[in-house]
Amino acid sequence: MTRRIIEWLRRRWADKRGASPPPRSFAGLFQQFKELLAANNRILELMAEANERLGGEYIFDRHYIETFCQQTIDLAGRLVFGLELLAPHRYPALRSAFERIRTEIEEELSGRKTWVSTEFIMHYAAISRAHVDDVGAKNANLAEVGNLLGMRIPRGFAITGAACDAFFANNGLDERIDAWLADWRRGERSAEETAALIQEAVLAGRLPGKLARDLDGAVAELARQGVRRLVLRSSAWGEDGADSFAGQFRTVLNVVPTGVRDAYRQVVASLYGAAPMTYRRERGYSRQETVMAVGCQEAVAAVVSGVVYSRDPVAPERDTLVINAVWGLGGPLVSGRARGDRFVVDRDDPSRTVEMDVVRKAEREVLAPAGGLRREEVPEPLQTRACLTAAQIARVAQAALLIENTFKQPQDIEFAFDSKGELVILQARPLALAPAQPVRSADLRGLTARYPVLLQGKGEAAQKGIGAGPVWVVRSEEDLVGFPAGGMLVARHAAPVYAKVLPLAAGLITEVGSVAGHLATVAREYRVPALFNCPGAVELLADCGEITLDAEDNIVYQGVVKELLLYGLAEEPIEESREYRLLRRVLRKIEPLYLVDPASRSFRPEACRTLHDITRFVHEKAVQALIDFHFDARRPVEEPAGRLRWQVPLDLVIIDIGGGLRPGAGPQIRPEDLRSEPMRAVVRGLALPGAWSNAPVAVDFGSFMSSLTRTMSPELATPRHLGQNLAVISREYANISLRLGYHFTMIDCYVSDRTGDNTIYFRFFGGVTDERRRARRARFLDATLAARDFRVEVRGDLVVARLKQLDRKQMIDRLVALGVLIGFTRQLDVMLTSDERIGAYLEQFNALMEESHGS
Amino acid sequence: MAAKTSILILDDEPIVTKRLKPSLEKRGYEVEAFSESVVALRRIRERDFDIVITDLKMEGVDGMQFLTEVKERSPNTEVIVITGFATMETAKESFRKGVFDFLAKPFKLGEIVEVIQRAEAARRGRS
Repeated sequence: MTRRIIEWLRRRWADKRGASPPPRSFAGLFQQFKELLAANNRILELMAEANERLGGEYIFDRHYIETFCQQTIDLAGRLVFGLELLAPHRYPALRSAFERIRTEIEEELSGRKTWVSTEFIMHYAAISRAHVDDVGAKNANLAEVGNLLGMRIPRGFAITGAACDAFFANNGLDERIDAWLADWRRGERSAEETAALIQEAVLAGRLPGKLARDLDGAVAELARQGVRRLVLRSSAWGEDGADSFAGQFRTVLNVVPTGVRDAYRQVVASLYGAAPMTYRRERGYSRQETVMAVGCQEAVAAVVSGVVYSRDPVAPERDTLVINAVWGLGGPLVSGRARGDRFVVDRDDPSRTVEMDVVRKAEREVLAPAGGLRREEVPEPLQTRACLTAAQIARVAQAALLIENTFKQPQDIEFAFDSKGELVILQARPLALAPAQPVRSADLRGLTARYPVLLQGKGEAAQKGIGAGPVWVVRSEEDLVGFPAGGMLVARHAAPVYAKVLPLAAGLITEVGSVAGHLATVAREYRVPALFNCPGAVELLADCGEITLDAEDNIVYQGVVKELLLYGLAEEPIEESREYRLLRRVLRKIEPLYLVDPASRSFRPEACRTLHDITRFVHEKAVQALIDFHFDARRPVEEPAGRLRWQVPLDLVIIDIGGGLRPGAGPQIRPEDLRSEPMRAVVRGLALPGAWSNAPVAVDFGSFMSSLTRTMSPELATPRHLGQNLAVISREYANISLRLGYHFTMIDCYVSDRTGDNTIYFRFFGGVTDERRRARRARFLDATLAARDFRVEVRGDLVVARLKQLDRKQMIDRLVALGVLIGFTRQLDVMLTSDERIGAYLEQFNALMEESHGS
Repeated sequence: MAAKTSILILDDEPIVTKRLKPSLEKRGYEVEAFSESVVALRRIRERDFDIVITDLKMEGVDGMQFLTEVKERSPNTEVIVITGFATMETAKESFRKGVFDFLAKPFKLGEIVEVIQRAEAARRGRS
């Protein structure tokens, strides 16, 4: 039967294609395929390595970044070339996509900027710290305070660096500025004269049409929400990073909507003030790094405004935070024109004010009705009254501690209380502490003797750093609810679902986890100290209350070790250094995977945005090329192939491309004929009785069976259907495509003794039921797979799970689980009639897995 | 308590010294870091260090020259070479010059700490 089908397929394929017969053998082709696979794995490995470098454990330099980029580019180039050999002339657009990405990476390395987002306007709700290069640190930080911590920030948007670029280009400013700057460097003009020339040219510039339209549109949108008074703030590159341009750029307050374009030009022009120009020259900033993004925000009619330092900058060891506040707007306070009330608050108990210095505040600054600002007298009784109440002080203090915890650095925060008494965060930036630190090695020696040590010398740091907080044990996803900001997340696995709360955590400790995994990546992005692979940590730490994690020396202390925390905070964050930023930027062109679903129409070479996309595309199409070749009618069939004979009602054609079957097996293949280890594992899972006959399905089972058997009925035996129940296997490899009922499942896996090469890619798609049930099914799959260390992405109907680099036995275990899961899930969406049932089915599934281990 | 081990680090990429200095200080070492070899040279003419950690390939003075001078002035100083351009040739040459160990970048913090501890032990063994 199988022979007949294959014969028939070969004829079909022959009909569809003209051209000359392929001269190569299947074995030769598979050899090429394996080379592709090796290059593919090497790229994934390099990417994981590069990601690990960002954790702070490694010392690397610029040379490493260049070498890493060159290696991944070379490997991706080999993949593109390899696919051209396997499938000549099939994907001509792939090479140009590759060249485009390669150029982008090389431009990053050469210091030219490329934007993550080409948008001119980005709303705060859509901004995260990944956009820091697009919107500047000030905008990105503020957006995170709003989006991550749910605190109130002014409504508004960022005008991106790409907008600034376009504005300069539109007015031929780059060339003129370069010439003026050269004159200045030669000493032909003073900094002040040069600044005046450049600023005049910028202020006279015309906004490009698209920028003007987008800007007007965004301003009009705010007006519809009732925002008619705006503030335009600078958010330049480097402004809030390690180098501080504090106070050098322009902020334009209380702007009416028609004045926004002018105000924008003013803020951009301030990039070329004499002071920042000189500062950049001293620091060796290049012109490419001179970028001004701008924040456009609602002007908050502040009743009282202030600045809070989450730690006293001159006496950081005191464990206090310092608030300064004035009536009205904060400008006079920030610029030093006015003295404000000063409150010193206990960091350990934000409701306790330890010092208070209330001054006479005769004047205040407020928004003028026609735009701009106005100074007015403060009503007499208010002049000598403290401008913050005890409750307000506590709220500001708590907010400051939360923000510090999120950014893992002491913070300098501007805030206001509006007319409704609501706290609004206006700005948050890192606070530089006094450079002469009394807390140094002397205090840090012998800590282990002074504080009770709970864990030492165990584990692997996924992100270095120091954090302290109360232990919060997470055993299942439900435990994430109520996770306290500043809590210490302790869990058995480094499950990717924890990424949801991780940015709020003071630290992360797990018993199992991969430093190359998804959660590690998130920990690094948010600089959350993370220690993985600490056996027994959950039981040991569960009742410990507050603990301190030193993920630099892999020690966990009982209680809060203040010396360590202070040391951690005082250190200049290495993640802000140029090399880390460069590595992060090039990784964005290399690592993210956008081409997720091979069945989607956007799975095209043109859509490749990263080298990972190229890798994925080549892999998918290389598998396809293999299958096509096998069914090519113009060559004799050499490979053993046949149909699986087993108790499961599933018709499966197997093609062996090297050592996957017992010699002489076929065309009727029994499970014991399988020599392919990954295939045997999946088949074992699929064949587990419980996976197929759990009781609730019984009603539907008949129709389900019929839908399965129909797959092989003559009228439906089209290549489309048949191709969907196909496995291409070798001794170490299996590529399995299944159509079960209405579900479409694909497994692509490689399992050998070389742990680094091992990968599983699992894809689940489809199912006829309403959206809510599909979402439940997705959650079920997410939970089951994530608990087995898979990195899971759920996008609508599509669930993609990836796993790599576990050892052979662990990979095999996971494949058995996938087999069970395929059987188990096939009609799950029909049965998942309520959210509560997800838990029940999870338990059922886990019980089933226990059973399979027992058997 | 014995005096702290003194370490000089020379690397023209600031990120290396920025990362190494605080971590080593935290472990109780006395650390001076330089990104310009000329300045570092001036410093080693002023005083001896127990351990010198240097890159090989830098602008200005060549790392090989630098470590040669270090060993000439103070044979007891252990020199640890860190470099991103590791070849067998450079490795061999630096060992001929009496270098204690050779680490290729990127390396883990723990790796260099371990090398430093071995260098300390070697010094103790000699004295």
